[in-house]
Amino acid sequence: MPILSTNSLSLEINGQQILKEVSFSIEKGEIVGLIGPNGSGKTTLFNVLSGFLKHTDGKIDFEETDISEVSAPKRAQMGIGRVFQNFGIFREMTLEENVLVALESLPKEKRGEINNLKEKTKETLEFIGLANRAKEKASSLSGGQMRLLEIGRTLASGKELFLLDEPTAGVSPKMTNDVSSLIRELKDDGKTVMIIEHDLPFIAQICDRVFVLDVGSIVLEGDPQSVQHDVRLKEIYFGADPTN
Amino acid sequence: MPFFIHILFVISNWIPSMLSHNVIFGKGKIFHFGPMGVAIISSYGIVITLKSTGSFALAFLVGLVCALLISAVFAWLSVKLEPDALGVITLAMHIAILNIAINWTSLTRGALGIPGVPRLSFFSSNTTLSITMAVVAVLWIIFMLYLDRSSFGRQISALAEHEWYAKSIGISKIKINLIAFFIYALGMTIVAFFSMQYLTILHPNDFMFPAFIFYITCELAGKPGSVLGVTLAIVLLTILKEGLRFMPIPTGLTGPLELIIFGVILFVAVWWRRDSVFPNTRSV
Ligand SMILES: Nc1ncnc2c1ncn2[C@@H]1O[C@H](COP(=O)(O)OP(=O)(O)O)[C@@H](O)[C@H]1O
Ligand SMILES: [Mg+2]
Repeated sequence: MPILSTNSLSLEINGQQILKEVSFSIEKGEIVGLIGPNGSGKTTLFNVLSGFLKHTDGKIDFEETDISEVSAPKRAQMGIGRVFQNFGIFREMTLEENVLVALESLPKEKRGEINNLKEKTKETLEFIGLANRAKEKASSLSGGQMRLLEIGRTLASGKELFLLDEPTAGVSPKMTNDVSSLIRELKDDGKTVMIIEHDLPFIAQICDRVFVLDVGSIVLEGDPQSVQHDVRLKEIYFGADPTN
Repeated sequence: MPFFIHILFVISNWIPSMLSHNVIFGKGKIFHFGPMGVAIISSYGIVITLKSTGSFALAFLVGLVCALLISAVFAWLSVKLEPDALGVITLAMHIAILNIAINWTSLTRGALGIPGVPRLSFFSSNTTLSITMAVVAVLWIIFMLYLDRSSFGRQISALAEHEWYAKSIGISKIKINLIAFFIYALGMTIVAFFSMQYLTILHPNDFMFPAFIFYITCELAGKPGSVLGVTLAIVLLTILKEGLRFMPIPTGLTGPLELIIFGVILFVAVWWRRDSVFPNTRSV
């Protein structure tokens, strides 16, 4: 059973077609890469999936429920986790508060399952190796540490689907390994992940499937190897070769 | 001694409403510029009920219900409008509500105000009234400190810092804003309940811009969102404001002098806090 599927999803803003009939289906536990040139609509697709932009046509099913009319916070409570390109953490709050506020914002049943939110917060910070900085403001963290905090927080809140928007952007090469091993852990935990990335070797290593977005449409889809070696990929990124 | 009792009342009387507005504006960075609109509706609700029924409990209840209803409208606007539009509309609503209060003379006696507001027999002296108000103010400060450390406090801060990030972890803006605006409604009703009995007259002049400007001045000077900072600002600025009236200054000058001094304080406070007042927008 697919955890997430879209049917002919389109988005038009001020007469401009930003997403065009995007249809796909993702199975539970799959890791799917979303690649495409800058401005092709990857982040916008995530905004539509997580409920920040309302699509103008088509529909979205999450766990076999049509969520087209569901608000962003409600979708989050249903289990859709979002990791933002510019680090979606609260810089003015401490690390501890960043995790705690996410746990406190879960629906009652899920909060009940955790029972001790403070304890779970502590465990989460230990898990990402930042327990010793629990009382510091999140703005004091490096890019990589912010990313670990954001993914760790999303994992602790029991999300099932992770939408990761360029999780290694703004992360130092040294920390990239920590971030990618955390993403691998999501896979081992049976979570479903959609990941926007520019680093093709990284995508090839981690993903089961890759979608290529170009001017708002999925133009190529397949396993990482075949997509990586598809001649059309070069055309999408660099334009058609005029000598052909 | 009467001066001290008076100051004690005035300071304590600002606390529940201003600290609650500080949750909305200082902490939540929500541009709610119409708190005086809530004050008018709640105060008239209390006084008119009190004069016509004589029941203090019923008067408080009516004042509270009126305040909650108008606050629900403000909260709804706060999720529908962009910050600048919200600021303008809420200011306009304050003026509109004030105009209704002044022009609906059959109900409100208009610009004359409503004199002869009765007092609870326990409050026959200003001393008991002031001390009771001070106790209520201390309890309200404790409530605000508790709120600051509660999940609500974290959630409203999260929304203030970045709305999308807050929503992406499941925080509902309408729910949080309703709570914040309802807390203001309760704080304001308590304030109105006591101040109407203290003044024994309801006058529309008390709900004009200067009262709102005083809110903003204290919140900015005390540090937006800070319970103790704003409390301290209320204490110091009230002493300054009330103290000016007892200075040996020619009578015609006290009014303009107060306006100039508070104008300067407001200007300095806005300049000093300019970075923390406006919500910073970051792309996603
Ligand atoms: N809210 C919006 N209003 C108008 N145009 C938008 C909006 N959001 C995105 N776009 C446009 O949609 C296109 C895709 O942007 P984006 O999804 O950020 O690309 P990517 O993440 O693939 O680099 C861009 O041309 C961008 O300008
Ligand atoms: Mg993007």
